[in-house]
Amino acid sequence: MSSATARILPERRAEALARWNARGLPTRRIEEWKYSDLKAALGEAGVGAVVAEWLIGDLPFGIELFDLSQPDPPDWVLAQFGARADNAMSDASLALSAGGVALRVPAGFAPDAPLKLDFTGPGHVRALLVLEAGAALTLVEGAGAADFRNVGFEIVVGEGASLNHVRLSPAAPEAILVEEIGLTLAARALYTAHFANFGAKLSRVELEIALQGEGAAAHLSGVSVLKNDHADVTTHVIHAVGNTQSTQLFRHVAGGRSRAVYQGKVTVAKGADGADSRQTAKALLLGEAAEADLKPELEILADDVKCAHGAAVGDLDTDSLFYLRARGIPEAEARRLLLHAFLEDAIAEIADPHRATVRDAVNAALEGVA
Amino acid sequence: MLEIKNLHVSVGGKAILNGLTLRIDAGEVHAIMGPNGSGKSTLSYVLAGRAGYDITEGSILYNGEDLAAMAPEVRAAKGVFLAMQYPVEIPGVTTMTFLKTALNAQRRARGEPEMDAIGVLKSVRKKAATLNVSEEMLKRALNVGFSGGEKKRLEILQMALFEPKLAILDETDSGLDIDALRLVAEGVNALRSPERAMLVITHYQRLLDYIVPDRIHVLSAGRIIKEGGKELALELEAKGYEQIVKDAA
Repeated sequence: MSSATARILPERRAEALARWNARGLPTRRIEEWKYSDLKAALGEAGVGAVVAEWLIGDLPFGIELFDLSQPDPPDWVLAQFGARADNAMSDASLALSAGGVALRVPAGFAPDAPLKLDFTGPGHVRALLVLEAGAALTLVEGAGAADFRNVGFEIVVGEGASLNHVRLSPAAPEAILVEEIGLTLAARALYTAHFANFGAKLSRVELEIALQGEGAAAHLSGVSVLKNDHADVTTHVIHAVGNTQSTQLFRHVAGGRSRAVYQGKVTVAKGADGADSRQTAKALLLGEAAEADLKPELEILADDVKCAHGAAVGDLDTDSLFYLRARGIPEAEARRLLLHAFLEDAIAEIADPHRATVRDAVNAALEGVA
Repeated sequence: MLEIKNLHVSVGGKAILNGLTLRIDAGEVHAIMGPNGSGKSTLSYVLAGRAGYDITEGSILYNGEDLAAMAPEVRAAKGVFLAMQYPVEIPGVTTMTFLKTALNAQRRARGEPEMDAIGVLKSVRKKAATLNVSEEMLKRALNVGFSGGEKKRLEILQMALFEPKLAILDETDSGLDIDALRLVAEGVNALRSPERAMLVITHYQRLLDYIVPDRIHVLSAGRIIKEGGKELALELEAKGYEQIVKDAA
């Protein structure tokens, strides 16, 4: 451990280290990790204790940045950093990484330009993003390939604040990329997120979203296009109070021997009346050996709620394929068109201008899959 | 243009066409009439190249080439068009995108230069107006939420756009009210030309009041059992299929 680690929030890191040492790597026996065998993927290399890197291109004016490897963190970092303590891999990044970035968007502030944040290199890294009341931000998160990287990301969306999050995970067939994102949303806070994943040896993003104030809403969507890879989106949305809303819409295309995973748990706490939650996940399997595991799950402890979920796994529709070919569109092009159409439901959820970015990335990925 | 000889076709091991013979030359409009289950749709799908239709005997020559050996997209590029009885709904692909993709795929296959978006749009708009296909329909996902009449009008719009050499219309009249039928028929008649052959497949005589064929073939149990001029439609209407089948036996 570096000396910086010792200065920043030593207690929280020490507690995380103790939990990590006691629990160790998550195994497939843990429900959330059932479809992602991290231990097997890592093999003897293990998780290590290397510090991964973060990169910010241009910091939009008005956003405060604190480098977590530096001493004397400001109060807003002290108040929020490392607050989450129930997730093994999040503990690992907290315990084993001395690096990372903390960002604050001051109350009522809404930068025009998006914030571009990339995680690169191997190892563990932490990030903290705080949107104060009434702030608004678009966060574009990118990822570089690495043998193994574990990102622990905490996001706090204050009262009436709004965060639009687009996460792009490029194809990285040799990489093991895991990320745990923990969010809290205050009253009337809005979180809109899209997760585009093009697969890795093991790629997993886990979101835990706590809707803690009335009127808070989280809208999640995502696509994965997998040639021969793995992608796991595991979400847990907690409607802690009433009159909160969540929607989730995920589409996966899995070719070759790919494995596409969506596990989405929605918990409606006791007394959280008026909660409204919808989840749909669909997957198209293109390869004989491709697999999709779609598992929406509801845990409802309140009385008056509106919750719906659905999941479907299928193949390309042969009638549609014939129709397009009978109009002169060659088979490969027709397949790509149908796959794109299948994914477009989820892509349509993304706000401009990033919709086009994701669409282009999806089209490029489909070239290799269809 | 089209020469079908002794065609036998099975679907899932079941014989549907049992020695069908038919010849259509350029400039001609032929109609195939027949009761349900006589093999009308099977014939249209075999001509368009749908999978699952096995030719067990006989041949289909299209301009002297073996049609059965061609992939569906190759047939389309060579000028074969099937206006389908049940046009498929494809969410996520707008009608305009579909038309442009299909048109340019055909042009590419023929070694013709592709048309740009504006060129396609102009061409589509001109044809859409006469078929009462609205701008809004072109922006919507292909056939999604279209009424029966809208779907059929879009099929004819495609026919007008692709300018096929051989157009096969499978039950184009089904689900249309009289106004829609007239509109569709006008669209089809506008495409009659000395270079183009058409095969109109229908259960009812009604459509043939509007698209008057040069020849009518009656299909029953997978074979042509009677042929004649346009007056045959009236005979069928008067006597019914059962009597015609009996007479032919």
